[in-house]
Amino acid sequence: MPAWDLKDQAAVSGVGHSPYGKRLNRSTIDLAGEAIRNALDDAGLTRDDLDGLIVSFGTPIGADADTLAYALGLKLRMYNQTWAHGRFTATCIQNAAMAVSAGLANHVACLASVSFSGFRKPMMGGAGDNEGAREGGGGHGEDPVYGMTSPGAGAALVAQKYFHRYGATSRQLASVAVAFRKHAALNPAALMREPITVEDHQNSRYVCEPLHLLDYCQINDGAACVIVSRSDRARDLKKKPVYISGMQGLPAGREEFIWTHPGFGTSQQKVFDYKPDLQPVYQMAGVTQKEMSAFFTYDAFAILVWTALERWGYCKPGEAAAFTQDGRIELGGALPINTNGGLISEAHVMGWNHQVEIVRQLRGECGPRQIANAQLIQWGNAYGDSLIYRKG
Amino acid sequence: MAEYKKPLPAISSLSEPYWTGLKHRDLKLQRCNDCQTLWYPPGPFCPGCWSRTFTWQNLSGRGKVNSWVIFHQAYFSSVKDEIPYNVAEVELEEGPRLLTNLVGIDNADIKIGMPVEIVFDDVTEEVTLAKFRPLGGGSK
Repeated sequence: MPAWDLKDQAAVSGVGHSPYGKRLNRSTIDLAGEAIRNALDDAGLTRDDLDGLIVSFGTPIGADADTLAYALGLKLRMYNQTWAHGRFTATCIQNAAMAVSAGLANHVACLASVSFSGFRKPMMGGAGDNEGAREGGGGHGEDPVYGMTSPGAGAALVAQKYFHRYGATSRQLASVAVAFRKHAALNPAALMREPITVEDHQNSRYVCEPLHLLDYCQINDGAACVIVSRSDRARDLKKKPVYISGMQGLPAGREEFIWTHPGFGTSQQKVFDYKPDLQPVYQMAGVTQKEMSAFFTYDAFAILVWTALERWGYCKPGEAAAFTQDGRIELGGALPINTNGGLISEAHVMGWNHQVEIVRQLRGECGPRQIANAQLIQWGNAYGDSLIYRKG
Repeated sequence: MAEYKKPLPAISSLSEPYWTGLKHRDLKLQRCNDCQTLWYPPGPFCPGCWSRTFTWQNLSGRGKVNSWVIFHQAYFSSVKDEIPYNVAEVELEEGPRLLTNLVGIDNADIKIGMPVEIVFDDVTEEVTLAKFRPLGGGSK
């Protein structure tokens, strides 16, 4: 069966989330339970309808799938869990789409539930970050032996090289954070809603230079959930389905470095002029970039927006710096990006909050930040996986 | 030697020749005997052609700065007194890139493309790290 036979076979039938916040002092199982219940309510499903669960981010920062099933009294036919990284959002939704299309489950809850604030010190780059020291190197280029630690440091390495290679500047990168903060101001769920300026960005402290604090995502607690159902079942539910029209898996290998596209020359990547050419996600969905109402991407660090735009062919290499100026990525611009405010200003829920926003945009539920006549939205990441969602 | 409190490498059966090389003042990486690919980090066989025969080859120890960052936040308490410190990605003359620290240079003077050479830093009796300085010696 060619992959494109899966086009529109699965849909998102419900979305939900917990409150997002700093130090909510709530357990990750508690937060997950609230997100799952809200998503089922949104779909018009009950707990007994749910027979699949896929978790993207478990121990030690999030709730694990098996403990969730136990605590919530779920009766599952299948569950799955990826290792604790944000990069697996699309992978989880793809696996859920495949599972419902193949009849392994009817309705699959896909989610992450995280408590970053509780675990920040020991986990993200600190002394307890065992993953940074794993054999073969850390998942974001960490090498703690030389003090190279934390996910943001790998992004800073990419940013420095990007600035040098293309003559771009930190000042240009500020436009990303400024745009997302404007979006967050229109989003009651967002943590950071005060407007910021380019000067605020430039004056914010360096965390890992050349990245400033305002280039960094939030560190918070929260859970967000997406229910994936077979499309014929989704059509009978409370909300209009949002179809999963295209999918592309997460690539790996020596030409990949998580925070940029091939050819960039970080880690062991070769240096060449990257051309996005034909990406399977567009072929499967039968659409092109030009038809997208918006673009959503994993913005743990602002530079990832540039490398994602280039990986997905919205810009040629080196051109994203100029493209993201002048309101082009803001609501009302040529290509709105992360209208929820992103990980940078809404909250860091591993990109699951972005999936919730995409679905709501395609249903027309976004109020003051609604994209007029939203039809198609791409989730596409610097690290190379993607989903294309279509209005039902 | 004062107690060294910063993270130390987890040395495996694969990487042991690399670390032993550094201890003996040799920068060595694996080179494939069949297709001549030179690779890092250490692997069980050639990632190019999957040949199982390779040689740990001594390298020049010279390269250039491919990119660099400055840590202004101390993620480990053991680096607290060194903030702000640099981490550089050095591209060796022979191709592979290593993460490292640049020594003998002010952070403000680091430039992408600048030529550098290896400095062996014996941080414990067992472990020697590969650090780099501007080619021809540091400025400080």
